[in-house]
Amino acid sequence: MVVVLVSISLAVITLDYREGEDGPLAGLGRIALATMAPLQEAVTTATRPIGDFFSGLVHLPSLERENEQLRRQNEELRAASAAGADKESQIQQLSDLLGLKESLTPSSVPAVVIGNGLSNFRYTITINRGSSDGVERDQPVVTGSAQAPILVGRVVAVTPFSAEVQLIIDRNSVVAGRLSVSHETGQIQGQGDQDLRMTLVTPGTSVSGDETVVTQGYEVSGQQGLYPPGLVIGEVSRVIQDADGLQEFVTVRPAVDFSTLEFVLVLQTSRSEG
Amino acid sequence: MLRRTLALAAVIVTALLLQSTVFSQIKLLGVRPELLYVVTISMAILEGPNEGAIVGFAGGMAQDFLLDQPKGITALTLTLLGYTVGLARQYIVSPSPLLPTILVAVGTFCGVIFYEIVSFLLGQIDDPLLYLLRVAFLSALYSAVLTPLVYPILRRIFERSRPRRVVRF
Repeated sequence: MVVVLVSISLAVITLDYREGEDGPLAGLGRIALATMAPLQEAVTTATRPIGDFFSGLVHLPSLERENEQLRRQNEELRAASAAGADKESQIQQLSDLLGLKESLTPSSVPAVVIGNGLSNFRYTITINRGSSDGVERDQPVVTGSAQAPILVGRVVAVTPFSAEVQLIIDRNSVVAGRLSVSHETGQIQGQGDQDLRMTLVTPGTSVSGDETVVTQGYEVSGQQGLYPPGLVIGEVSRVIQDADGLQEFVTVRPAVDFSTLEFVLVLQTSRSEG
Repeated sequence: MLRRTLALAAVIVTALLLQSTVFSQIKLLGVRPELLYVVTISMAILEGPNEGAIVGFAGGMAQDFLLDQPKGITALTLTLLGYTVGLARQYIVSPSPLLPTILVAVGTFCGVIFYEIVSFLLGQIDDPLLYLLRVAFLSALYSAVLTPLVYPILRRIFERSRPRRVVRF
């Protein structure tokens, strides 16, 4: 029995490994993903308030944050019914996005985040828009307001009614970035839960703290200018010099809190344009 | 038999849904829980090595396919894990009520390490060693915390649907 099951697993691993993105197994995966999406959406809608509450309580890196969060909760409870406050903030976020949608030149699709990737090694989210809404692979995903669109990630898998978005904090994500003040360019790579790491093209330049980092619209390692220029990525948090002084890193704190992301926009850039 | 299969499918789907929605927000120091590890090991303790392997295989495959991960690795890990724990359980005679929790913690740690090694060999993950160890340790801890919640539920579901053994003297 066990031998059979193990052999099947091994066969699947091998098949999947050799086929890559376009094989029948990946297709099966997409079908399964598509059936899962409506369920995920339902559960997320029902449990988001509970999840928000517990996430506030559980992942406390410091007492200070806890204090602040509890105070905020307290305020919210006092202000009005929690549901009312929640609706209001949702409307605010949506109207921000609407403004953003109007200000962006390529057309865009608004979407709701319905699930987070569950692996500890991949940072992805699932959104409730798919190929039937015009979402395609490699399209950039943003959030924020019209004044400052913030980069979230890019679409990596599409089903008819949902899509998988790789966040910029994923270790496989590489984005071309530019410092807004010193105009230095570099590659920004995800580091999981830690701040993003930006490798500067020309080392030895003076970079000041809390400079804003935005996307640069040229190609990096095979990704043909996926992202339109000027999207906010984050702020410089630390400058690290290599021991031999040959390379300089800048860590970048993302402008988005990915754990509380609710609404996003998918930019409709086609790959041929990029 | 049919009832058990349905119950099992329901348990797996529920675990996956919870894990990808609610629990993905409730992280322990940045690490998500591994609900299916808890389910697999609990079932192995309750029902023995063969059931453990089957649950692990079904749950692992479901997780790999439904959540678009590299396919087969979770299935392989959980099949072996379910079988091993089920086997080990038969040799442990301890009345301690903490036994499931300890087995789940140890099992999850070994399972996650195994998963990481296989993924690494296949070039699917590329994280520093320290991070991998941290994930394994925290997953184990998280699983241990969840066991007192999950284990009794599973025991109730599956003891009721178990075909009655008729003992004649």
